[in-house]
Amino acid sequence: MASIRDYLEPGRVRVGLAADGKEGLIRAMVGLLAGDPSVGDAEAVAAAVLERERLAPTGLGEGCAVPHAHSPACSATRLVIATLAKPVGFDAPDGAPAKLVILMVGPTDAAGAHLKLLSKLARYLHDPDFRAAALAASDPSSLYELFVSRDG
Amino acid sequence: MKLLVFVLNKEEYLEDVLEAYVEAGVAGATILDSEGMGRFLAYEVPLFAGFKEFMKGNKPYNKTILSVIRNDSVVDRLKKLVDEVVGGLDNPGTGIMFTVPVDWSTGLVREEEEV
Repeated sequence: MASIRDYLEPGRVRVGLAADGKEGLIRAMVGLLAGDPSVGDAEAVAAAVLERERLAPTGLGEGCAVPHAHSPACSATRLVIATLAKPVGFDAPDGAPAKLVILMVGPTDAAGAHLKLLSKLARYLHDPDFRAAALAASDPSSLYELFVSRDG
Repeated sequence: MKLLVFVLNKEEYLEDVLEAYVEAGVAGATILDSEGMGRFLAYEVPLFAGFKEFMKGNKPYNKTILSVIRNDSVVDRLKKLVDEVVGGLDNPGTGIMFTVPVDWSTGLVREEEEV
């Protein structure tokens, strides 16, 4: 199975990202993919993520969310990871707004790979020590290293 | 002695499948209501709701039939009969059948009482 390093560039990690609400946050995170040749129409990608949010919330609880979508505008799977300056509600089961958000977007023909990656990310985020370390990361490179080192 | 596990995805064939069990010489079986992992994830775990579209054509629920088989030839007969009923277990989404060795059991129908 491909590793997180294959999907995540260090430059797509943010600490203390400021965004206005769920939609603003998703647009801001999709915006961090600008210039990636495997992500075409950013507006279409953001729309797909927002449409997926309408289907069912992606808040996992404990202050974490994994908004995601498959989109024809993507030719490869990409991750963007951010801790937030101000928590954003993702309708998590515990009602807690998200402080750590992972955006995952990818092509429509990679359902199996997406399922595996989502499951892996959910497993990491269910680990209280990992969550605490991620939220305590003081800079993007520390947060990036935390994820790729956890991935082994 | 073997435990025969059959996950029947096409529940509408249950009656015909059980007739095949009897015809093949299976003396008894336990039928469980079951559901596939994909259905549960896509419909019960919000994080995976986006995968519902990939469930299209898959049966959400299935039946799992457990039976202890004393004679291996029963499995061969049963496989042929079940293939006829469900249209071939090699076809995706039909069902999964496998056996595992059983090294001890009690409470089974006595051999002389088997059908």
